[in-house]
Amino acid sequence: MKFKSLFAAALLVAASSSLALAQSDCTKIVPPSPWGPNDQTGATNRVTAAVTKAAAAEIKDGKVIEMSYPLADGIPLFGTRFTKTILTATSLAPGAAFGENQLTYMEDTWLSQSHVGTHLDGMGHIGRKDCYFNQTPMGKFINQNNMTKLGLEHLKSFATRGVLVDMVKVFKAAGKFKGNAACKRDCLDKGTVITGADIQAGLKMYNVTLREGDIVVVHTGWGNLFEQYPAQNAVFNSGAPGIGKDAAKWLISQKVVAVGADTWVVEVIPGEDPKEAFIVHNMLITDSGIHILENVRTDLMAAEANQTGRATFFFSMTVPKAVGLTGNFVGIEGIR
Amino acid sequence: MFKVLTPPAPFAGRRRCVLRLGILALLLASAVPAPPARGAEARRYSIAFANLTEEPGVLLEGTGFTGRDVRESFVLAARLLPVDLVLYDNGRDPQKALANADDAIRRKVDLYVQYHHDAATNALIGQRLQAAKIPVVAINDPVPGAPLYTLDNAAAGLIAGEALGDFGLSTWRGASVLAVVIGNIGARDDRVPERVQGVIEGLRRRLPGIKTVPLDTRGNPAQIGPLLGRLVAGQPGAKLLIAATDDTSALAAKAALETAGRLADAAIVSHGVDRSIHGGMNDRKELDPSNRGSVVIGSVAFYLDRLGYDVLPLALRVLHGEPVPPRTLTKHKLITTANVFVEYPPYDMQ
Repeated sequence: MKFKSLFAAALLVAASSSLALAQSDCTKIVPPSPWGPNDQTGATNRVTAAVTKAAAAEIKDGKVIEMSYPLADGIPLFGTRFTKTILTATSLAPGAAFGENQLTYMEDTWLSQSHVGTHLDGMGHIGRKDCYFNQTPMGKFINQNNMTKLGLEHLKSFATRGVLVDMVKVFKAAGKFKGNAACKRDCLDKGTVITGADIQAGLKMYNVTLREGDIVVVHTGWGNLFEQYPAQNAVFNSGAPGIGKDAAKWLISQKVVAVGADTWVVEVIPGEDPKEAFIVHNMLITDSGIHILENVRTDLMAAEANQTGRATFFFSMTVPKAVGLTGNFVGIEGIR
Repeated sequence: MFKVLTPPAPFAGRRRCVLRLGILALLLASAVPAPPARGAEARRYSIAFANLTEEPGVLLEGTGFTGRDVRESFVLAARLLPVDLVLYDNGRDPQKALANADDAIRRKVDLYVQYHHDAATNALIGQRLQAAKIPVVAINDPVPGAPLYTLDNAAAGLIAGEALGDFGLSTWRGASVLAVVIGNIGARDDRVPERVQGVIEGLRRRLPGIKTVPLDTRGNPAQIGPLLGRLVAGQPGAKLLIAATDDTSALAAKAALETAGRLADAAIVSHGVDRSIHGGMNDRKELDPSNRGSVVIGSVAFYLDRLGYDVLPLALRVLHGEPVPPRTLTKHKLITTANVFVEYPPYDMQ
């Protein structure tokens, strides 16, 4: 009887273990990386020394244009997401200064989720089932703290050419502009689908041809709602104009490193097919290793491009070597 | 629309050669099938959609959907189609519906989508549009001679009844089981009685001989508490399979069972799948993957928030001269905690 119980328990453990290890066949769900079976880097492989050198030619007069939004209390966040700081300033208390030079110091505790504010989606952010970039069966590579594969530490440089495409201008020129009353400056309305032809029209406006290794930044004007935080947070979060599948397909064919926009999602929301969830994220990140940059501040660069007739710039952004993270908030500057 | 580019004049000495090459090119071109003309590719259609009503708070077809949900579905669906929408609100008013159709005729729209409950008005509108040679697609109520896209209340009820029957068979085999249909069950305009018949048929297919108790709220969900409360008090040992005619009724029924301390004795399936019962990642609504133990085991989708995605392609087939069936039915489906995020993917994440 005892033996039978033990045998049954062993069977149960074996069955539950095999369930825990059950994986999808990722070779059938996600394409392989063009950079080989061991690649964890993705599209920043394209940022070679030659690409960075060519991008440096964009710096003509050293003008730096801010392309990030402030990360502060009250900015639009989704659902349970949060970002909070706690200041440690104990040495400011009377008598707490150090030494004859009366040194004091302060520091912060930052309690935050990583995908907040202007941020980068890394290779481990989006998958299909348990399959992530480069056919990675992610179930085998996570613990309670982080991923053990595809973390930010594997990314290479983002020192490349940035190209701004001004969709407000494109849609106005095509006579199909539809705005949103909550925006204080022109913005495309949520649900506006940006196609590959629209992106190409935006490039043509500034006589730009994309090069392998470029980062494309889409100006929709929707970021104006972010700027109005917290007043328009609900509208900002309710949807977004953005690229559709056709534009994503075209950008993938152009071998870009990242696609950014002044929205929380880069792709159009509501999506083109109501039964698909964030399909452009799958196309860019999961299938192509191309990063997504969300909440990029684009209005200043759009104004600069409009004024100077040039929409290209040196894209300056560093990503912390945060081991096992799926993404992180970033600072971006466009240097001209 | 397209800028015509004029080629520069060739040098005089080369003109004859260029002419010969031109003739050769023309001959070659005539031997190859021509691609579709650019004009044909760019053809856009003006489609009018006259909605049943967009009065705030008015719910359509005995579900939790509003006219605004329906209109929004047309606007979203039209985004990638060669369609320019002209939107009307029939306001459930025959005079308004007629005026809308007359306006569309004046505008010379390419096709008219009519959504209106009054048969006589629909017939009159059909005649006027036919005289103006404007094809029509009707929604839920026929326009004579026009293809009809419609909900299938009987099929939806059948799905709900069978789901409840399956639950009863797998969970309460041998127990005393009673079926209840609750909601505005007499609402003929919304074809709710067809839904109820479907439920009864579905239950009987799985549990032949099961007794079904109708509880009619006459459109007042506040009646659910008293009606269901009295019923369960009189059935202390029974298990209840409850078909709610809409999601609001389902949630009210759940609350009534909770008050009576009888949640463990019931399973509920409703109709509609509106936003009161499902939501985004953080909404934690009744149909949510994190709520798999809910007494509400599902709701049959009516997809009125996706109507435009079904109707506009049908309208384009009519405009392209393709054959369309005289009657196209909504493909209803049972939505549960297991498939709600597949069917209605949330987009409150980034």
